[in-house]
Amino acid sequence: MDSSTKTAPAKCRACHRPMGSPLFCDHCHSLYPSEGLNHFELFGFPPAFDIDPAALRQKYLQLSRGVHPDHHAASPESTDSLRLSAQLNEAHRVLLDPVLRAEYLLELFGGPAASADKGTLEGVLATALQLREDVCDAQATGDRPALDRCAARVRQLHEELLAGIGELARQLPGDPQVRRRLRATLNSIKYYQKLLGEL
Amino acid sequence: MTEETIIGIDLGTTFSLVAHVDEAGAHVIRDERGDGRVPSVIGITPAAAGARPQVTIGWPAREHAIENARTTVYSVKRLIGKGWEDIRRDLPFLAYAVTPGPRDTLQVEIDGRRYTPEEVSATILRALRERAEQHLGRPVHKAVLTVPAYFDDAQRQATRTAGAAAGLEVVRIVNEPTAAALAYGIGLRARPGRAGPVAGVPQDRPEAGLPGRVALPTPTCPTTGGQFQAQTASGETVAVFDLGGGTFDVSILRLEDGVFQVLSTTGDTHLGGDDFDHALIQLVTDEVRDQFGVSISAPATKQALRSMAESVKIRLSEQHTAEIELDLGRERVYRRTITRGEFEQLIGPLVERTLGSCEQALRDARLTPADLAQVILVGGSTRIPLVRRRVGEFFGRPPYTALNPDEVVAIGAAIQAAILSGRQPDMLLLDVTPLSLGIETMGGAMGKLIVRNTTIPCRATEKFTTFVDGQTAIKFNVLQGERELAADCRSLAEFILDGVPPMPAGMPKIEVEFLIDANGILNVSAKELRSGKQAGIQIIPNHGLTRAEVQRITRESIEFAQADIDAHRRIDLRNQVEFDAHKTEQMLAKVGHLLEPAERERIERDIAALRKLAQETEDLDELHRALTAFGHGTLHLAELGIREALVQRDPAP
Repeated sequence: MDSSTKTAPAKCRACHRPMGSPLFCDHCHSLYPSEGLNHFELFGFPPAFDIDPAALRQKYLQLSRGVHPDHHAASPESTDSLRLSAQLNEAHRVLLDPVLRAEYLLELFGGPAASADKGTLEGVLATALQLREDVCDAQATGDRPALDRCAARVRQLHEELLAGIGELARQLPGDPQVRRRLRATLNSIKYYQKLLGEL
Repeated sequence: MTEETIIGIDLGTTFSLVAHVDEAGAHVIRDERGDGRVPSVIGITPAAAGARPQVTIGWPAREHAIENARTTVYSVKRLIGKGWEDIRRDLPFLAYAVTPGPRDTLQVEIDGRRYTPEEVSATILRALRERAEQHLGRPVHKAVLTVPAYFDDAQRQATRTAGAAAGLEVVRIVNEPTAAALAYGIGLRARPGRAGPVAGVPQDRPEAGLPGRVALPTPTCPTTGGQFQAQTASGETVAVFDLGGGTFDVSILRLEDGVFQVLSTTGDTHLGGDDFDHALIQLVTDEVRDQFGVSISAPATKQALRSMAESVKIRLSEQHTAEIELDLGRERVYRRTITRGEFEQLIGPLVERTLGSCEQALRDARLTPADLAQVILVGGSTRIPLVRRRVGEFFGRPPYTALNPDEVVAIGAAIQAAILSGRQPDMLLLDVTPLSLGIETMGGAMGKLIVRNTTIPCRATEKFTTFVDGQTAIKFNVLQGERELAADCRSLAEFILDGVPPMPAGMPKIEVEFLIDANGILNVSAKELRSGKQAGIQIIPNHGLTRAEVQRITRESIEFAQADIDAHRRIDLRNQVEFDAHKTEQMLAKVGHLLEPAERERIERDIAALRKLAQETEDLDELHRALTAFGHGTLHLAELGIREALVQRDPAP
């Protein structure tokens, strides 16, 4: 997959000046609806797991300034602006979060999708079930130290899986085995995310 | 002036304000007494049979609330976009009658006539619009309105409808805490290099590196004396704690070089100063019943009790005790002294509820109190000492109180209006949706499509298909809320996809797009994927008004529609008076020496008299006649002026 083919048109169709972004013209503020661009292309990043958070934020704010409906309130492009802005916000949300980012990358590189492969890493289901029971017990008896121990354990397991996801996602596109393993890790981390949300 | 003015309006539960931005900065438009607040109260006096009722708005309505208890409507913001079940616990405290309307809406009933909360709000908005028009000397058609951040879709739509009914195009709905942060943040940027001691602001922050460019002149905020603090350019995270007359919000925002990014927001659209009043009213009602065996049900007594509770609450912010006295008639008088401590005990649980929301907002933003640079208090109820103390304790720092809590939201709305006018291209406001959005799934669960605190605009899509061969319509229920069960969430509307081509079950594929715009309002569209055609979609709202009802209230205002026409005519006439008077003065300066002294003096007197009349008279026909007469009386002068101009341009040989 080659991201360089789908970058900005060289010149703005409206004012014929060179364009710095695929979404809008810096000079005349014309908008370029970009249904076809994936999240990485939208930001001008290569499709890779590692992203510099500062660069992501800077780019996000720069693009937002160009497309946000507040800056196109009176123009006939307000509908384009609304959609572009929604697309940009979604792309930012996905790229900001390592799990969503890995999930999205895996999809870009052909999956398997969560609906097609529901496998989890060995032992995760049993561990998560046991932890859930422990949490319920601790909550029922109001045992604060036990609850804290559970929380620490869940956080640690979550961190371990997160590290695994990073390691595998960096190998993408990788062989089918890497992709299946990433799929299983992504499926697994959901159990710990849910537990963390409840703690 | 080519650019159309957009005003900023804070439509509050107790008070409403209007502000705008001009060359001098953002400021609230005040009445002749210097007060920016218009009480959100209207009095509807029944007129003779067949005629329309007379309406009073603002201070006059509030001042006569006790004698006109049944016909005075207040706190209507607590009713807008709400259903019967939502306001049940308010009913005993309301002196006016509220009845359920169609589709789980509410209506105010006065003298057998029913009014929607949208109509009542529109009446207040119209008064604010007129205040702005008189101040600016030109018609106003566009506004930014603020709403509590935690308002759901129905409440936002209803507020927008109220704006339309007041003849205002609502160009944006902004969340109140976000507007407050805008006013606060602009203040920061506007005064680089000026540091002064303000409570709760660390003094050791470097000021170098602040953007030298000033986005907007300093907003005028009388209580602050312009003492905004300069902060670091690398940004800071703040919490806005907004406790108003009827609603509560807390938002966590990141402010950075012109970017205002909301990280999380939460609140309660039914918690505010009114509830503190209710706690006092409940106490008095119980004690009156115990001591005198009397239950308070007469609307006038209820209203008197309400006014008394409000003033006791306000006094207890200043002093440690307050006297309560209530005349029950037949020489029975209820008297007691209440201490601040007793009052704090009454409202304690409500204040604790706000802190629970603060905890939630921090958790959603993945922050702790230590990560915050400032806690900003907004809304009149944050003047209560207990609120300040508990908020300070919760966040571990004295809250920032230098902004006028009544005016800061309107100022922010005006700044947002300036952004929308294209005057602030470097500023960026990124807000979030306060509630998760989803659809009811099989089995009555809430299937989330967009989670709360997602940056808006945002969108999600969902594919639908048929379950029965030949099925041509699909129905689904759109929900807002955080609970697992659909029944516990707010149902916004039922959507019916119709005109689905008859095919075997499961064959049609219809993609529905849920798009939340920058106002936080949902837009839904549907597409049949096989044909690529837009699918028909019918929306049956579970709250709010139908299109026909919106048109009706837009067409007929509660008060005489004549009043609207008069307001515009008055503005036009006054402008014409000023224009003619000014032109005549210029002419006098140029060619006055050519007139007989007596005629010159008469014209000078005429100018003064016309200006005086324009300021004083309400009789527009009289003013029109005077303007015409003035034109005749200055005809000779005008002729001289024209002749002189011709002579100068083309000197006779």
